[in-house]
Amino acid sequence: MAEGLLEISGLQAGYGDVQVLWDISLSVKRGAITCIVGSNGAGKTTLLRTISGLIKPRAGSIKMAGTEIAGASPDDVLGAGVVHVPEGRRLFKGLSVRDNLLLGAYMRRDTVQVNRDLDFVMNTFPILRERSSQDATTLSGGEQQMCAIGRGIMSAPKLLMIDELSLGLAPRLVEVLSEALTEINGTGLSILLVEQDVLTALDLASQGFVIETGRVTITGPSAELAEDARIREAYMGL
Amino acid sequence: MGFAQILANGVVLGTLYACIAIGFSLVWGVLNVINMLHGSFIVLGGYLTYFAWASTGISPVIILPVVAVALFVLGYALQYLFINKVVTAPVLTTLTLTFGLDMILYNLMTVFFTATPRRVSLDYGRIDALGVSMPVDRLIGMGLALVLTGLLFLVLKTSRIGRAIVAVRMDREAAALMGIRVNHIYATTFAIAALMAGAAGAVFAMVFPVTTNLSGVFLGKAFVICVIGGLGGVSGALVGGLALGIIESFAGVIVGPQNAITIGFLIMLFLLIVRPTGLVGVKGYE
Repeated sequence: MAEGLLEISGLQAGYGDVQVLWDISLSVKRGAITCIVGSNGAGKTTLLRTISGLIKPRAGSIKMAGTEIAGASPDDVLGAGVVHVPEGRRLFKGLSVRDNLLLGAYMRRDTVQVNRDLDFVMNTFPILRERSSQDATTLSGGEQQMCAIGRGIMSAPKLLMIDELSLGLAPRLVEVLSEALTEINGTGLSILLVEQDVLTALDLASQGFVIETGRVTITGPSAELAEDARIREAYMGL
Repeated sequence: MGFAQILANGVVLGTLYACIAIGFSLVWGVLNVINMLHGSFIVLGGYLTYFAWASTGISPVIILPVVAVALFVLGYALQYLFINKVVTAPVLTTLTLTFGLDMILYNLMTVFFTATPRRVSLDYGRIDALGVSMPVDRLIGMGLALVLTGLLFLVLKTSRIGRAIVAVRMDREAAALMGIRVNHIYATTFAIAALMAGAAGAVFAMVFPVTTNLSGVFLGKAFVICVIGGLGGVSGALVGGLALGIIESFAGVIVGPQNAITIGFLIMLFLLIVRPTGLVGVKGYE
């Protein structure tokens, strides 16, 4: 089997005395959209926070394009090419849409390419160009998600991790965002999507992982997962 | 004394006050640390400027940036080595730490520099215009204070480091996800505040005598200005500083200089009740 872009093995992590992740192993394919689904509290967000360096793992390995990043600081993880678009968008209040996007490029020195990427983001989400000087936190929920994803893209990552793409958004907006992600993925950027909305996630991704109480329980191509009786029963109410 | 003269005195004093308060406001707003060292930083800046001027005769306007850079380095080191260890602790912990550091700095200054009031006397004469008479050194002080304030405003508003400082202030975890090293930004913010305090001290020493005993007075002023103007921004410090300067100037004439400070604190109390965000402060940063 070919090496994936992101290879996680035997990962354990948690907060204080509470262990959340138990022996997580998974592989994210280069150039693909991969999704991690599971119910609330399964450990999906903790997994992303551990990958991006906000939490130090207790054991295990996280390899990004062959480089070990387990336990690295957030700026080193970003330097390795992994960006984390956090749950709830977390845009910076008091800063314009443009400044928020530029903060995504905080570590980059290649000004010319940064401006080109800014253009790309604003072409992908035209509303961000229209609102570029407006305080980012005054945007609607969907627009904020666009800004947050755009901010992620501005770091020129190899892997874009998005936590809860669809949370709190109208179905119509989720569709717009899904199309945009497919388009972004088409430029060669690998995407790791974490979702509670199993249908949306499996629809968008080619590969899926199901996490339950901190363990990976089901793995496979998303088309197969969508047909899996256990998933249909547990997450789709079918 | 005419109205115009009192107002002019207030404005000159107010710009100096803004310069004094700005670093204190920045640290409070961004780090949520009440920096008890701030007053001593100002005195240190004033003393260093005085002794450099007295021993070399170089113009204090040239000495000022050197002193400011020295304070920047001192501020960065203090934050990185000490305050960063407890920066996320409740505000009382950081207050106690900076209070302790202040006692050390204050007493070191008293031992090495003594508490004798010292002033860089430039004697550039006075200017009389529109019924207002003003010593030229005060006008230079005001000009320097405005330039410093304007520079800081530009840095915070347009630079990459300025965006990072705002980002850390708003959401330190999200800032970390942007690759911003939060501890470095904390130390840089503290260092910028120390730089502004040092520069303010240098300006102050050109206008009024400076002594270690003023450290507490400066700290108190900074506190009042932050409450009046509002926290965390340059505009808050500028508005608060001007307001306090003008209030004290008029109060000094009406109720006597010895009571002017009391009036300033009374207005602060009043504002805390009716407008806790300050005159131009942002909601949520009371």
